[in-house]
Amino acid sequence: MTGRKPRRFIAFLWHRRIGLAAFILVIILAITGIMLNHTEELKLDESYIESPLLLGWYGLEPEGEAISYDIGEHVITVLDHLVFFNAHPVTRSEQVFHGAVKAEQLIVLAFDTELVLLTHDGELVERMPTGHSFTDIQRIGIKYKRPVIETSDPLYYMADEHILDWDVITNEDIAWAEKTTLDQTKMTALLESFRGRGLTRERVVLDLHSGRFFGEYGTYVMDAAAVALLWLSCSGLWVWWSRRMKQKKKRHYQKHHRRTGTSI
Amino acid sequence: MRHFAAILLILLLSAHALAGGVYQEPDAFIAEVFADKPPKAAVIWPDTELKAQIKDILGHDYKGLRIRYWKQDKRTAWVLDEIGKDKPITTGFVINNGRIELVRVLIFRESRGWEIRHAFFTDQFDKASLNSDSQLDRTIDNISGATLSVRAVTKLARVALLLDQAAQVEKES
Repeated sequence: MTGRKPRRFIAFLWHRRIGLAAFILVIILAITGIMLNHTEELKLDESYIESPLLLGWYGLEPEGEAISYDIGEHVITVLDHLVFFNAHPVTRSEQVFHGAVKAEQLIVLAFDTELVLLTHDGELVERMPTGHSFTDIQRIGIKYKRPVIETSDPLYYMADEHILDWDVITNEDIAWAEKTTLDQTKMTALLESFRGRGLTRERVVLDLHSGRFFGEYGTYVMDAAAVALLWLSCSGLWVWWSRRMKQKKKRHYQKHHRRTGTSI
Repeated sequence: MRHFAAILLILLLSAHALAGGVYQEPDAFIAEVFADKPPKAAVIWPDTELKAQIKDILGHDYKGLRIRYWKQDKRTAWVLDEIGKDKPITTGFVINNGRIELVRVLIFRESRGWEIRHAFFTDQFDKASLNSDSQLDRTIDNISGATLSVRAVTKLARVALLLDQAAQVEKES
């Protein structure tokens, strides 16, 4: 016989069981909660996840295929509307990509109704909407080191050296940009770069805190952890209170019944 | 009652569909402000100082190393982009003698805040200029529910005035 009262013992037993069960989850809740309170200081919203394991867990695979154009020493690729200079993301365009050429001063990328200009080092110079006079680009080529555009009319426009004005020309001696396929190394680098931009550390911490990270039922598990924390607070209070009462009774007994107790 | 709800839903959806989008192509804007005879486009390559001033206004670097503009005498036209909440708002500006002559929202891609396209908002910029702190010489009233869009266009107005100053100096030199 332990001498414990059953109700008090059950509360203590469940306090221990639930405490052990919720141990890991409560630690996750507490740590992620602290991190989220200091998102800005920790720069969680500015840094991106690079771990392939985590990115794979989130299913961050590109939906479309990579469209690449070789421009000499470098490659321009568009993958899921993201424009890459080699493996470095430069900008984004929602339009269909029609090719890229290296002109005398700049690299020119052609989209449906927009041209994107980059320096030879891949820095964004300008995004040029082509407007009324010059729409529906089909492909891009080069002549005399100047970019040439073919529209759906079909008409052929050649730019000046600063790529500000365009003149209509005939379709002669134009070297049209041709697609290329990235080798395995370049493709791996590109995918790493693509995925790296897609998932912030803040997102992962937020999902860990809410439980979404663990899948469909993860939020319910974290809810259970929160309820467990609530239970632990109440049962802890109950255990403390009942022990205090017990000690109080014990002291009272020792004070008033010691003589009787010793005589036995 | 059911019909009323259906009509209300259609009206709401159509209003939403009409809200954002391309209000005017940038080329058409330039053609209009120069009476269909636009001058040749010029470009400005902001130097370090100008870049810093732009960054100070926008809170980030302006995308791109060069900015195109159109100039006739003391009048310049600019088509600039700035993100409101998530997507860029393309806005056309005409600056005449260092003061804003016209502001027009050309392309609005966000789902909220399209009210800034209306004249009751853009007219507030009429004749606005920059003071010595690169601030507008007047207060631009906010539109509730379009705070970020209002902020974006106001910032762009300051950038356009700043660029105009640089373009005038560049041409003179």
